[in-house]
Amino acid sequence: MRIKIDYAKCTGCKLCQVACSLQHTGAVNPQRSRIRVFVGEDVCLPVIAGPYTEAACNSKENMVINGQEVDGCVVCRASCPVKSAFKEPDTGIPLKCDFCGDPPDPQCVKWCDPDALILVDG
Amino acid sequence: MFGWIGKILRIDLTTGNRSVEDLSPDLCRNFIGGRGAGLKMLVDEVDPRIDPLSPQNKLIFATGPLTGTGVPAGGRFVVVSKSPLSNCIANPCCGGYFGPNLKYAGYDFLILEGQAPRPMYLYIRDDRVELRNAEHLWGKWSTDTEDALRKEMGEADALDEWQLRDLSVVSIGPAGENRVRFACIMADGGRAAGRSGLGAVMGSKNLKAIAVSGTGQVDVADVPGYQQAVMDFLEEGRVNRVLYNRRMYGTWALPGRANKSGTQATRNFQEGYSKGFEWYEDPNHVRDHIRIRDEACFGCPFACSKRSRIKDPDYPRSTKGPEHESMALLGSNCGFSDLDDICRANYLCNELGMDTITAGATISCAMELFESGYLPEEELGYAMGFGNTQAMMALLKKTAIRQDFGEVLAEGGKFVAEKYGHPELFMGIKGMGMPAWHPQGVPIIGLQYATNNVGGSHTKATLPFYDGRRDPEEHIKWTKHDQDYVALVDSAILCWIIYHGPLWGEKLQVWLNVITGLDFSDGELRLIGEKIWNMERLFNLKAGLTAKDDALPRRMTHEPRVKDQVVPMDRMLPEYYALRGWDEEGIPKEKKLTELGLSQGRLP
Repeated sequence: MRIKIDYAKCTGCKLCQVACSLQHTGAVNPQRSRIRVFVGEDVCLPVIAGPYTEAACNSKENMVINGQEVDGCVVCRASCPVKSAFKEPDTGIPLKCDFCGDPPDPQCVKWCDPDALILVDG
Repeated sequence: MFGWIGKILRIDLTTGNRSVEDLSPDLCRNFIGGRGAGLKMLVDEVDPRIDPLSPQNKLIFATGPLTGTGVPAGGRFVVVSKSPLSNCIANPCCGGYFGPNLKYAGYDFLILEGQAPRPMYLYIRDDRVELRNAEHLWGKWSTDTEDALRKEMGEADALDEWQLRDLSVVSIGPAGENRVRFACIMADGGRAAGRSGLGAVMGSKNLKAIAVSGTGQVDVADVPGYQQAVMDFLEEGRVNRVLYNRRMYGTWALPGRANKSGTQATRNFQEGYSKGFEWYEDPNHVRDHIRIRDEACFGCPFACSKRSRIKDPDYPRSTKGPEHESMALLGSNCGFSDLDDICRANYLCNELGMDTITAGATISCAMELFESGYLPEEELGYAMGFGNTQAMMALLKKTAIRQDFGEVLAEGGKFVAEKYGHPELFMGIKGMGMPAWHPQGVPIIGLQYATNNVGGSHTKATLPFYDGRRDPEEHIKWTKHDQDYVALVDSAILCWIIYHGPLWGEKLQVWLNVITGLDFSDGELRLIGEKIWNMERLFNLKAGLTAKDDALPRRMTHEPRVKDQVVPMDRMLPEYYALRGWDEEGIPKEKKLTELGLSQGRLP
């Protein structure tokens, strides 16, 4: 199972961040969410937290999403030493998406009304 | 506390002193937050008779218990102050991310007082609160200000892309700096706390911008109950037709409807139907032509606001809207109907930081004065009749910097009309321009505008399409009901557009109780709404307003476009006062004040 992102549908409401933090921390705190939305001018980019890497990478490339060039670092899923996202704000402990348990029942997908996030097989 | 953070951040701009105070649970219970609690603070601390642009005025950025919790369409904030445009209470609402960020930083309210000695901006990141020099930002347009601030903070505070993007900025444009009386406070790249001219108040305090981000949390009383309530709500929302229109078109479905029914403000409200606006009737035309993407406020699944851009290198940035009201006031009401021109005017207003509605009302008033020959061409040096887009764009820019005729326009439409001897040609109430719906087609809207505490605004009562609201017998009852209800919506804070009373009125109570854990009863909430409305009335009366100010422009009541179709204010106003428990001068009676627990608030 994986969560498929359709950038064209994301409106930047950040309800996924609310849902995630509510599920994992019992309170609403978008900064402690395992999914983050980067709100750009022409496109919004939801990014789901992947594994922690101990070093910053040295092959940074920009990407083109919906005709917009975006910073590759922004859409990278890793929690790494050079970026603030996907870490507990107080302790710096890395965060990683766990699909809200087993079997997978991701809250962010449930709360995403425009269907920018959907759960798919494989 | 659940819902509320429980802290107030107070900053004295004169001295730079700051303090953090506790929010009293009594205030929360009695006024909820936002517009209600902000009003209570203003009333306690500010004399209603002050000059709104003096250092004695205060600017209160207020959030409610629902702000930042992710309650659908609950991401807004309210700014409470005294208006330099109408001299009344001012409480414009604004969406975006600023309100939630203020709460994550750890504050429900931000109170700004005094006057900074030189241009400053305020930086808030959790408990780090700094006033910084903004002399280099003075004069910048609003999105340029945001960009410059982000760049500066990226360097000075070593914030990465994510931290900068999560930062929310409110700022003023040149209009606010120059104390244009209908200047807005702009937020998040094109949103505005628009009516009432609070940008001028912020400008008078020498405060260019506020940047906020935070890493804190908002607690929810009943987490499983809340999660379930959201699921139920989203399910209902998916099959709702009104909301389908909001999602697809925002307010772009409304102009066609208004034009067809003859209620579209046209040529300074001389008419209700605008020729050349037929393209309005197909909202897909607008959507295909200018929309870039749907842009949600924090926590809103409906994303009714649309980011737009036109193909004109002189207008390179994207902006928000134009919404229906802006389209009508800057477009048909000034006599032109080209979509690109409307977008240009909207873009300028947003970037310069001016209220699109009052700007449109002011310029259309000047246009009619010009066409009627009361405003001589020699004085202007150029023509400015209806439909003159070139004059329109030039005047918007001049108004923001108070250059030649802009100096007159910057004082607002009422001042312009009086200066040239024809006060009846200004289409506004209490100095504030009327929004797009022509009251002659829908009298209940006339009553709502006229009795509105902030002036000619459409956002303090419900649109009149539901239930019995179009029935003349029911106008008075629904006006009071809706005004009290919206006072609550603005205090919680929910979005007025989504939580129209008839649509989802009962949800307000559900959200409040599940989030705060307090058991607000229906009767208690209604009383709070009515109390807020009456307190605002008392503030206005103390500021010097009288029953004479609860009047529509003469055109609405004496000059029918269609036979006999005038707004019967002579009949409606006394009935409204009686239903409110006010005397014939519009002053709340002792009995009503006692009932609302406001007997301390009576007039001296």
